[in-house]
Amino acid sequence: MISKEKVENNNINMGQYQFNTKLFSWFGEHKQVLSIFLIFLIISAYFGMSTNSFFTSSNFMNLIQQLAPNLIVVVAMTFVITTAGIDLSVGSVIALASAITAILLEAGFNSPITLVIVLLAGVMVGIVNGYISAYHDIPPFIVTLSSMIFIRGFALLLTGGYSIAIAKEHGLVNIGIGTLFGVPVAALIAIIIVILGAIALRSSRFGIYVIGIGANEESVRRSGVDTRKIKLLTYMMSGGAAALAGLIISSRLGSGSSNIGLMFEMDVIAAVVLGGTSLFGGKGTMMGSLIGVSIIGVIKNGLILMQVSPDIIQIIQGMVLLLAVILNIRIFGNRRK
Amino acid sequence: MAGNDIRIEMKNIQKSFGAVKPLQGIDLTLYKGECLGLLGDNGAGKSTLMKILSGVLIPDQGEFYFEGEKVSIKKPKDAKNLQIETVFQDLALCDTLNVANNIFLGREPVKPGSRLIDKKKLHERTREELDKLGINISSTKLVVQNMSGGQRQAVAIARAMAFQPKVLILDEPTAALGVKEVNMVLGLINKVKKAGVSVILITHRLQDLFEVCDRLMVLHEGKCIDNRTIDQYTLESVIKSIMGNPEGVPVS
Repeated sequence: MISKEKVENNNINMGQYQFNTKLFSWFGEHKQVLSIFLIFLIISAYFGMSTNSFFTSSNFMNLIQQLAPNLIVVVAMTFVITTAGIDLSVGSVIALASAITAILLEAGFNSPITLVIVLLAGVMVGIVNGYISAYHDIPPFIVTLSSMIFIRGFALLLTGGYSIAIAKEHGLVNIGIGTLFGVPVAALIAIIIVILGAIALRSSRFGIYVIGIGANEESVRRSGVDTRKIKLLTYMMSGGAAALAGLIISSRLGSGSSNIGLMFEMDVIAAVVLGGTSLFGGKGTMMGSLIGVSIIGVIKNGLILMQVSPDIIQIIQGMVLLLAVILNIRIFGNRRK
Repeated sequence: MAGNDIRIEMKNIQKSFGAVKPLQGIDLTLYKGECLGLLGDNGAGKSTLMKILSGVLIPDQGEFYFEGEKVSIKKPKDAKNLQIETVFQDLALCDTLNVANNIFLGREPVKPGSRLIDKKKLHERTREELDKLGINISSTKLVVQNMSGGQRQAVAIARAMAFQPKVLILDEPTAALGVKEVNMVLGLINKVKKAGVSVILITHRLQDLFEVCDRLMVLHEGKCIDNRTIDQYTLESVIKSIMGNPEGVPVS
């Protein structure tokens, strides 16, 4: 028999595993974001050299105003995807929000009430998505695919297929076209949401649980966290964010229609994944998503400035996106798990 | 040992899944500060018994007594409230979170008046917990997926210990570990025992038993067939018991 003393006196030392982790882990932790940022710089530099108008303040303002809805939704989508979930319904919620906005304003509702109702409608969609997928264990891909179809159909029913005008006199349209201190209101809202989202993901209990659920949900559950509630909350966020984005887009366009926001979910999911968030969950950064949105926006914007024919913009966009992801994974070694 | 030294008593625990009867009336007594080795061949019922004790499964029949009081354990939370902590081999950690976040998962210290995590306090308290157990990990900010098997197991045990358990259940804590790492985990068990925690150890590494256990209990086909203090065993007699033929000792 081996003596017990031997084990007790065995100095527990794992010294051989130690290495200088500080610098290494900083680069390790931020490798994905740094490499995608480099790709963003390369693309920007290319457009900067190819056009005279790319690096101008007016183009920059134009860009962040256009990207504001994407930024808002991408923040929420980052939370959803980090839990290993997905929300395909955001584009349809944008259409629903635009339809409700136009109809309510036309019916004489004032701006604050319209704002509240539209946001609540988006959150309600999120509650349904989240409740069915989190509490009944139905894959969120299927749940939100169904609601994507259902909700756009519902928006079509509400509008009867027509585009409903939104008059510029309503205070609410400032959310899409107004400026504050020379900065578009929509951009300000988006920046605030990005900052809050980044803090919540990195530094709040909620954010840690979101990452933990993506990595090992059972472990988080056994730690006494109500993981279903956390997942439900992420879908409520994406629903609410999509409704806000819908308000901004339809205010800018001056109309509500069931055709608004088509393929929007694809842009947002592409941005999140490009930013290094794993579709399998457990890994996500707000900074990465922010850069992901910027890359997608800059490609479109730069190609338009270069006066590339609109017929082939999508083709180039798709190719550049694929190239960026390949570069990120193959060259920079940021393998997804 | 005197009666008031008993931490847990499980009486006549029965569980069946259809025609399969993994537990057919098992009694288990666990004393304060002892390490009980739970043995048995595959399918003997060890894991089922531990799942019942940790609230993952509900028994068909049987009673629990915790420090003399009758209790019921119907869900993981009930076991947690009784300060019964379990370290499962695979389900322990969130790979993409760091050491501190894993150890304090669900109980992160927050800044007063907000829902934001007090990271300074979190890392300080993690360091304290690791030091208490003598676990040497260079940084509490290390992401768990980059760590060795032994370090991960140490973090998992530290996490269970951070809940200040009275009972610690370890299901195969040394499987797939290297020699040094096994010694580290066994050293941890002895440290935990000294702090008065009762430990239940399930392992296939029989040599480990003699380094940390005070008593062995052997299950065979859903029944307890052997239950003696460790000094009455040799490696050979343990193997005989596991095979279902305990060496002429009356079943207790």
